[in-house]
Parts: sequence; structure tokens; C-alpha cells
Amino acid sequence: MHETHEIRESRPAAGPLLFEACGLSYQYPDGTTALSGVSAEIRPGERVALAGQNGSGKTTLIKLLSGLLAPAGGQVRYRDNPLAGENLDRARLEIGVLFQDPDDQLFMHTIIEDAAFGPRQQGLPQQEAQLAAGRALDRMGLLHLAYKAPHNLSFGQKKRAALAGLLAMDPEVLLLDEPTANLDPGQEQVFLDLLKDFSGTLICISHDLIFLYELCQRAIVLDHGMVQHDYTMRELVSQRQTLREHGLDFSFRMVVAPESPDAGTEDTSCRPRPVSANDPGRGLVQLQNYCYRYPDGTTALQGIDLLIRKGEHISVVGENGAGKSTLLSCLTGLCQGRGEYLYDGKTVTGRARKRMWRKIGMVFQDCADQLFCASVREEVSFGLRQLGCSRPETAARVKEALSLVRLEGFEDRVPLHLSGGERRRLALACILVMEPELLILDEPTAGLDPQGEQLLLDILQKLHTTLLLVSHDIFFIQQLTRRTLVMHQGRIMEDLPMQAFMEDQRLGDLNGLSCMYRLRCTRDIQALQHEHEHTHEHQHLHAHPHRHGDMVHEHLHEHTHTHAHRFVHTHPGRDQSHDHAPRRYHEHDHAGHDAQPHEHMHKQTDETA
Amino acid sequence: MAETIHHIPLWYLPLLVILPIAALWAGVTGLRKTARKKTAADRDPDWSVPPLADQSQSGSFLHKWDVRCKIVTIVVFSFVVASLGHLAAALAAVALSLSVAVMIKVPAARLMLRLLALAGFLGMLLVVMPFTVPVHPGDTLVVFGGVEWLTLNFRGLLLASTIAARAVAIAMLMEPLLSTAPLPVTLHGLCRLGVPEMAAQMVLLSNRYVHVFSHEARRMSAGMQVRGFRKRTDTATLRTVANFLGMLFVRSFERTERVFDAMRARGYQDRFPEPVNLRLCASDLLICLAWLAAAAALVVWDRIIL
Repeated sequence: MHETHEIRESRPAAGPLLFEACGLSYQYPDGTTALSGVSAEIRPGERVALAGQNGSGKTTLIKLLSGLLAPAGGQVRYRDNPLAGENLDRARLEIGVLFQDPDDQLFMHTIIEDAAFGPRQQGLPQQEAQLAAGRALDRMGLLHLAYKAPHNLSFGQKKRAALAGLLAMDPEVLLLDEPTANLDPGQEQVFLDLLKDFSGTLICISHDLIFLYELCQRAIVLDHGMVQHDYTMRELVSQRQTLREHGLDFSFRMVVAPESPDAGTEDTSCRPRPVSANDPGRGLVQLQNYCYRYPDGTTALQGIDLLIRKGEHISVVGENGAGKSTLLSCLTGLCQGRGEYLYDGKTVTGRARKRMWRKIGMVFQDCADQLFCASVREEVSFGLRQLGCSRPETAARVKEALSLVRLEGFEDRVPLHLSGGERRRLALACILVMEPELLILDEPTAGLDPQGEQLLLDILQKLHTTLLLVSHDIFFIQQLTRRTLVMHQGRIMEDLPMQAFMEDQRLGDLNGLSCMYRLRCTRDIQALQHEHEHTHEHQHLHAHPHRHGDMVHEHLHEHTHTHAHRFVHTHPGRDQSHDHAPRRYHEHDHAGHDAQPHEHMHKQTDETA
Repeated sequence: MAETIHHIPLWYLPLLVILPIAALWAGVTGLRKTARKKTAADRDPDWSVPPLADQSQSGSFLHKWDVRCKIVTIVVFSFVVASLGHLAAALAAVALSLSVAVMIKVPAARLMLRLLALAGFLGMLLVVMPFTVPVHPGDTLVVFGGVEWLTLNFRGLLLASTIAARAVAIAMLMEPLLSTAPLPVTLHGLCRLGVPEMAAQMVLLSNRYVHVFSHEARRMSAGMQVRGFRKRTDTATLRTVANFLGMLFVRSFERTERVFDAMRARGYQDRFPEPVNLRLCASDLLICLAWLAAAAALVVWDRIIL
């Protein structure tokens, strides 16, 4: 293997350092190594993406950079001083940390009190702090809810309120941990626009590399607690090999990104046609004029007409708070509304509602809500025990279900100690083992890294059961379903075949489902990842044995040569002639290169006899 | 003096005891439903202004009263009410509490909900005490169908009614105490009265996170239900419930650590910012004195006059 040039795109290289991490290491109390020998320098104004699989140490690094954890080894320096004592106190008032779960962050009683908390800690008088909080809430579009208690907000509103709490402090640095996880595209766009306007330093963790590509210029890749790469963001997304090595390859998501609305026309003839509740024929699930109100009187669902046929794969989309989860709760019998609910032609009321769990299985958005047993085996067999299965049958079905979700050998592990992706698959196994007639998945990709997503997609694509998928992830919806229900304010606004849904830009504007920036980024990344074989002259810096006449020696040197290889590069446009920059970074093998004689300049100090 | 005994047929028992209990149960359930419906807002309130500032009753003296004076006065008054021994005095305390609630225009439904929370306990007291108090000379007894052990003692009924009236009077005072100032302000007042700040912070955070934890518990419970869990009287149910509680504890513990991290990350150093600057003025002390004088009058009436 040759050492090759890393020709990087421009990055602020001079100027004072903001953060300097030198050989950071950290171990959890149970002895697990979270970080080992991490070094990085971050300058003011940089926008850095921290990428890596679940459990690679990203959140721990953020906690070390914000002084919430003390490193076991190494040192963090902030503005040229160790992050401790007075410098740490100062840093905390200049650094805003956005946590994954907004409920962790909103600890005051109203969101305006919460937003004013930081400014008050900065020493602002009450009036000024209140003003700063009001301004921040206004920026996040939440001023009209200023005195509402956090627990009465929707998830998206909580997330925005949490960011408002940081923006009110006018921070110089923002450390963001999965800022857009579980947000609908509309709210994600709000976050993106705000963060793009942020003038300070930004360090962001996300599994969503398209979001990171749009937001950040630099990417630090962590794997097993170590920094594996420090690229520009463009370089990272163009290196499919690197992405694959670290479980970050999201290229599988790009196969369906059409160049234009008429690209990738699907064959609708072989797919189930969209149906409505007025269609003749018996469905598996039928709702007619179904309504649901919360105990406090708030309307959650109104006038729902829905028909789901056996074997159909249907997705439900809509903004946060549109009523999707309530609809699922009604279908599973957890809630009972008014109107007609037929399952397999029979009315679901009273006792039948309480027995719906035998026919309908649901995987929750937060899989932790579903896992409560002491071992994986116990967890998967829980449902079977309720069904009254015999021990041998339970054992066989548990084994089969774990094999289906690729968790063989995990039987004795503790669910709480599994990674996010493993827990998600375990929750799926817990439901699949009961062989439901209708499988409901609520945001199955939330919090998964690209490798976990791909694995989950593979598993779900092989299932033949009737599927109802609730997701904001347009790619998953496209891959797994053929019919889409668009919900808005408790109603089903549209019931469309997939292609019609994808082409309906009006829906994007109406329901906050616009994914235009994603399509644009996807096309950019596809261009960056384009690769084919070329022969061209290029330079290498590498060490290998070589000959100069009679002299054979080995040392680090740079020389130019020509040979064919595949590499990633951009094209100015389709079918246009183009040159390939010889100094472009591209890692590849040179078969037999070591034996080739070549000439190169020698410095006296370099020579090794 | 010997006790007075009235004999009545046994079939009066359901009429006098079971039917009132059933009526009470039906009434409480109905009222609870009505109260809940009435407390559910028809439309979302205007959250851009503080809720207390938005209400018509915010101009009352209790809203403007210094929170420290309010706490001291109402707590002292509550102790005085709890010490009353006569039903008439306890009913006078109820009237006083009710007049305060009317003065600050507490919504009737909210007051009703607070009282309904006590209904079960007080109802049980009203049913059990008349049958269980020891018989004293001079008591009036009612014996059902000659069954000696089934004797209703009117002194027990009076005692239960007095206790119920005292409880209602104190419960009604909780509305003026807790709903005329935001909880952080009330807790700030408590701190200024000498309650350790850490305790007040814990109450404040508990009040915020009790909703989060109960939501988490509901989601976990739903997760168990969709896999067929139903509570039964067997060891499997016990084991599952233990797992559920254990997991809830672990998740809550992890959340407290994350919340503390989030607080530290925004500069928290063992103190919350003061929600208001408290200033004591003469009118606060005057109201305090007037209220305590009423409490003293009640005691005098109860202990000396009655």
C-alpha cells in the first residue's frame, strides 16, 4: 500500500486555536474505552461534523470538549488554556451544548424561563435576560408559546425551545448532538436555516450525512474511540471506501434520488393500486369516520377513512403532531375513539380491542419503551408467553426471530447494554416473533447510523406481512411502501400512490415534507462519488524499495508516474469532456510498482544506502 | 348519663348506608367528569403572556400579596383549622376558605377537582367512623334489626363530619396558596423563609419531570400491552411489573444525570436564578394580621364559646 497525498480543500489553517484536544482518552465506569488518543484542533468559525457509528465516542468527545466530563488522559485546551477552573466556568457561558433529548435540556417551568436561564447565569439582569430569551424564542418561531410548560409542547417544539435556550446566551460555540433526529422535514429545514446563519464555531454530531454535508465544511471521523480521518466534508462524502470502512456509507440511500421529476418512472401496473375506504372489497383494516379526542378534549383524529388490504405496504407521513402516532394507538387498541373500526370484517370494540395485540404488532419510535426484560431471550419470548406457546415452540421461534434480525448469539445479552441499532432490531424481533398480520413501524430509522439503517432496510424488505410505516424518512418510505397517506391536523389529507406522492411538490409545501435540499445534496454527492477507471499522470508520496541504476534503496519520496486506476472525481457535467486533476487525493494499489525503476530527485539527508 | 338507643329494621341499612355510598360514588364520578370537561380549555390559551397575568382574577389581593406573608399566614391558618374541635367552627372555617376562593375567582371546576381528590378518603371516614367509634355515655345510637354489633353512633358521624369539614377548609386554601403565584415564586418565598434551597430546587425539578416520567411510564406500559401483557394474580405478572419498575428507575436515573449535565452546560452552579425580587410592604403585613386575627377568633369561638 502506498502512502498518498491528501490534497485537502481550503480550511482555516492559521489564527488562534479555539479547542485543542491532545491525546484525549476516556473510560466509562464499567471499564469500556470510549475514547483513546484523540487529538484535534478546532479554530474559531469552523463548522465541524463529528461522524461515526453508534458507540464510536462522538457524544463523549462533545462532553469532554464542553467540560462535562474530565478526560482520563490527555488535555482539552480552550482558548489556549486548560479547560478547568475559571476557564471552564467561562467556557460554559460561551459554549452551547444541544443534547439529543430536548426534555433533558428544558428543565425550567416555562420555555421563556428556560431560555432566560443561560443569560441569567451569564450575569444579565432579569429584564435583559427576559428580552434575550424572547428574541431567541422569536427566532425559533416560539414566542407565541413563551409561557407554555415544556411538557405540553410537541417534540419538534421542544427541540426548537432547547436551541432557543442556547441562542439566548449568544454562544460563540455550538456543540450539537443529533440536532434533527426525529424531526419532520419542515422543522429540520428551520434548524438548518438557523444553523447556517450562525456565525460562531459549530461542532455537530449526526448520522445524517446529507444534513452534515449541507451544514459543515470539515468532518472528523471517529471509530472505536479514535480519530480515523480529518477531512473536508466534501472529501468525506466522496470517499465511499472510507465511509464503508466506518459504517457510514449512505450511498444506498442515493439510488433513488431522481435527477428530475420524470426520472425513475415506476411501473405502477404491478403494484397494488391505492384504495380508499369507499372502495368495494374487504380489507384487513377499515376505519370509517373515525375520531379520537384526548381526555382533555383536544381533537387528535377526525373523520378518518382508511382501508388497508392484506399484503399492502403503506406509509403515513405528516408533520410532528399531525396525529400519526394516535392513529397507530387506535389501530393497536391502545386508544379507543368514535367511529367504525373493522378488522378483517369484524367490528373492533370492547373485548376485541383488547385482543388486537394478537393480530397487530407495533415497533415504537423509541425502542427503549418496549424493552424491559433482563435478557434478549426473555425479551423476545415475552410475547410468546402471553400467547401461551409451549417451551419448545417458544425456543424455536425465538431462535428464528433473532436470526431474522441478525442477532444470533445475543440471547443472553442485556437489552439495556446493546447499541442503538441492535436494540432497534431486538424490538423488531420481539414483534416479529409473534407473527402479526399487520406490522406497524413508528419511525424505525430514528437514531440509527447508516450501517444500521441499511441492515434494517434489508430485513424489512424481506418481510411479507402487511406493513404500515410511519416515518419522515422519504427514502425508507420509497423503498418499503407503495402507497402514502398524508396526515395533517388529525385528518388524512391525501391517499396517494408512491410516485404521485413523490412528484407532488404542493404536499411538500403544505405539510413540511419538502426534501428539496436533500435531493440537491444527493445529486452533489453522487457527482463527488462518481468513479471510473482512468489512466493519467499523477504524483505519489510514498516509501518503497526501488532502483536507481545499480542502487536499490527505500525511502519516502515523491514522484510522478502514469497508470490506470479507479478514483473518485467530479465531472463538470454529463457527457462533457473533462480533465482529471493529477494531484487529486485518491488511494489505490500499484501492482508491481515496487520493482519498477524510476528516477527522482534526492536530497542528501533523504538518501539511504 | 346513659346512651339513647333507637331500634330500626335491618332493611333501613341499605337505605341509610349503601344507597348514600352509591349515590356519593356516582356523584363523585359524574362531578369528576364534569370538572375535567370544564377545566379542558375550549381553545388554546394565549401562551405569549404569563397565565396568571392573563386571568381576570389576577388583580386580587392574594395575587399581589407578598408570597412569604401568604405562605406563613395560610400555613398558620391551616394549623388553626386542623385544631378545631366543633363542627360549627369547622364549618365557619369552610365558609372563610370558600369566601377567599370566591374572592380570587378560582374556577369552580378546579376547586371541585381538588375537593374530589379527597372525596374517597372522606367518604370512607363518614361511613366507617359512625360504626366504629367507642360508645360514650350520652351517645345516640341506632341499632339495625336488633344486630348489636351493627350500631350507628351519631357522635361518630359528627366527628367524621368535623374532620371532613376541616379537611375541606384546608384543601380549599391550597388553591389561594398555590395558584395565585407561579410555583418557582412560591418556592423562592419558601427559601426566603428558611427552607433549604436544595429542597426547593428538588421540588421544582420534580414538578417539571413528574410529567416526563409519567409519560415514559405510560409509553412503557403501552409497549407491554401491545405484546399482550395484562395484569394477573401470578408470579409472571409480579416479575414483569418488577422489570418494568426497574427499567423505569434506570431510565429515570440516567435522565437525572443528563439533566444535571444540561444544567451545568448552561452555567448552573448550585443556584437557580431568583424568579422575582421580593419586597415586603405595609399592606402585606396588614393582610397577614387581619387573617391571623380571624384565625384567633375561630380558636376562641371553638375553645371558649362553643
